[in-house]
Amino acid sequence: MRTRAKYVAFFVVPAFALVGIFVVYPVARTVVLSFLDSDGKFVGLQNYIKVLSSREIVNLEGLSRGFPLGALVHNLLWIAIHLPLTLALGLVLAVLLRNVRGGAVIKSIIFLGMVMPMIVGGVMINFMFDKNLGIFNAFMEIFGISARSWTAYPDTALLALIFGSVWLWVGFSTVLYSAGLETIPKDLYEAAQLDGASALKIFTKITIPMLRPITIVVVTMTLLWELKVFDIVYVATMGGPGGASNVLALQMYLYAFRAMDFNRSAVVAVLLTMSTLLVSLPLLRTLRDDQS
Amino acid sequence: MSRLFVVPVLLLATILSAVTLTVIGPWAGPEMEKFMPVLQEFEKQTGIKIEYKIYRAEDLANLLPAQFAAKKAPGDVIFMWASFIREYGQKGHILTLNGVLDEAKFLPGALDAVKVGDKLYGAAYTGKVKPGFWYRKSFFAKHGLTPPKTWDEFVELLEKIKKIPGIKAPIASGDGVGWPLSDVTEHFLISFGGPELQLDLIEGKVRWDSNLVMKGMNKLVSLLKNKYFGEPTEWTLVLKQWWNGDYALYFMGSWITGMVDDPNDLGVFALPGANGVVFGADYAFVPKYTQYPEEAKKLIAWLCGPEGQALQVKQGGHVATAVGIDLSSYPPVDREVAKIIQGVTALPDLDDSIGGEFQPTFWDQLKLLWVAPDRLNDVIRTLQEKAPKK
Repeated sequence: MRTRAKYVAFFVVPAFALVGIFVVYPVARTVVLSFLDSDGKFVGLQNYIKVLSSREIVNLEGLSRGFPLGALVHNLLWIAIHLPLTLALGLVLAVLLRNVRGGAVIKSIIFLGMVMPMIVGGVMINFMFDKNLGIFNAFMEIFGISARSWTAYPDTALLALIFGSVWLWVGFSTVLYSAGLETIPKDLYEAAQLDGASALKIFTKITIPMLRPITIVVVTMTLLWELKVFDIVYVATMGGPGGASNVLALQMYLYAFRAMDFNRSAVVAVLLTMSTLLVSLPLLRTLRDDQS
Repeated sequence: MSRLFVVPVLLLATILSAVTLTVIGPWAGPEMEKFMPVLQEFEKQTGIKIEYKIYRAEDLANLLPAQFAAKKAPGDVIFMWASFIREYGQKGHILTLNGVLDEAKFLPGALDAVKVGDKLYGAAYTGKVKPGFWYRKSFFAKHGLTPPKTWDEFVELLEKIKKIPGIKAPIASGDGVGWPLSDVTEHFLISFGGPELQLDLIEGKVRWDSNLVMKGMNKLVSLLKNKYFGEPTEWTLVLKQWWNGDYALYFMGSWITGMVDDPNDLGVFALPGANGVVFGADYAFVPKYTQYPEEAKKLIAWLCGPEGQALQVKQGGHVATAVGIDLSSYPPVDREVAKIIQGVTALPDLDDSIGGEFQPTFWDQLKLLWVAPDRLNDVIRTLQEKAPKK
């Protein structure tokens, strides 16, 4: 028994020590920092009020004037547009390519966006929407819309990044849904067909409900990515022009490494951590239910 | 037998003890090619090896604070913004250069930006001026254009250029992180607010919404609204487009002379009435955590001394900060730049001098102004929020 305890200690203590030093301590220190001023004095919620009332985080004037709307609102917009699009496109592509000859190859090509480092993805998005080089302008000119650098204008910069990132991320949902489709028993489809169910009915009554666990994973992972999105924005627009495509993670970086204000940066970090925890809860609950 | 053993040991010891200094600078491509001969000459004269690494100042601003906190430095001599050198010099991370450089041997005020009290934290290497709008003499000759002498002539010139077939816009707008736009803006502020305005803005003595600032900004906005400036495009890409005739004018620093195929085809003019010109010296410092402080100081003294600077200006695109550099050392096109700056006040770069949160905000807000000039008031309000306050 004592030997077993020794083994447990031998394997567990280093892991706990590492997690404590590299995860728990920095997180705790960040939380503490968010309640201090630059001299290390406790200031209560002052930093939170300062950050949440700043135009960089929420800019209500933007509602009447247009972008920027503030980093927090931009993140929410990212979620509102990017999440349904990647989900729907991923599901549709997975279903369409299921029984198509060469579907695996097409899926691999779609997945390339996911394999690419996001920094490169940011550069690609910039090129894609560029006035002189961009494929997007070539496409828009078919409809008589004149060419412009879409990431350079406040009213289109954020939307260009969001739509560009759909291209980067849709491979993830397609691959997961494709794997999920393979797990649905064929008998269910055959029984439905025998009963005379239409294709739409089969899709809505069998495919979608059976893919629920996959959908939860895709939603959670996509939400987490949308909350912490940084690299694409940093490379493509640096949050500009005039903060029109700024996001929380970039603002956290700007507070820390440009303003050298680690307290305000810590506030954004805490807010981001809390949001990601909140978002992760459904996934954790589903996993727990599956285990039980 | 013992001799056979001693010789390799001595050889090994010599190799291990050989000093290699790491120099970090922002120059890549053609600019780096013009810097390397200077470093190579130092290696030849002293036997000290040098490794050159490229880091943009924007990246160093992220990297160095963390390195300094760990009592480390990625290089022995590092080129960086003056505001950064001053700030981290005072925090004790940078070695003082008092006694290494003789201030009397530099242009008046050249070292002020890296001095705090009587402590000198940095050295001024050569500099670049941002004299005005560059054009191709052949392009102007082909279309019968002449450099303007008044504001009205300038606007007239832009209108004429706009009508030339194939022209995207009269003035190319260089972009990247945003500094090329800030250089043009500073030129307008100096031209219409006077050289003092630049210094007052740096020190926070003047508000961004003051009449003096608004006078320059309104002039700039009037040109933006008339589409005389092109859409902001990556600055090296637009340089090629300008050289190929897509644009007629390009506001850029004097380093442009080293980036075009035929520098002798270059002409430059300042905005009529500009009594000041931004002179951006390249500042270098020796971090406290260098392994070779004496050798690093020796290199900085040589680089910033007359020999190093003369060699650099000879390569083109640079202007000396050290006194006594013969004009014959300069290539002909740089002599033209030197003529423009004669009799005008040399000024520090606005955003480089202020640094901190203001700099990226300034760049980003100007990107907004370039595409939405009707939002001038928003831009001014944001700049005032981030500007230093006296």
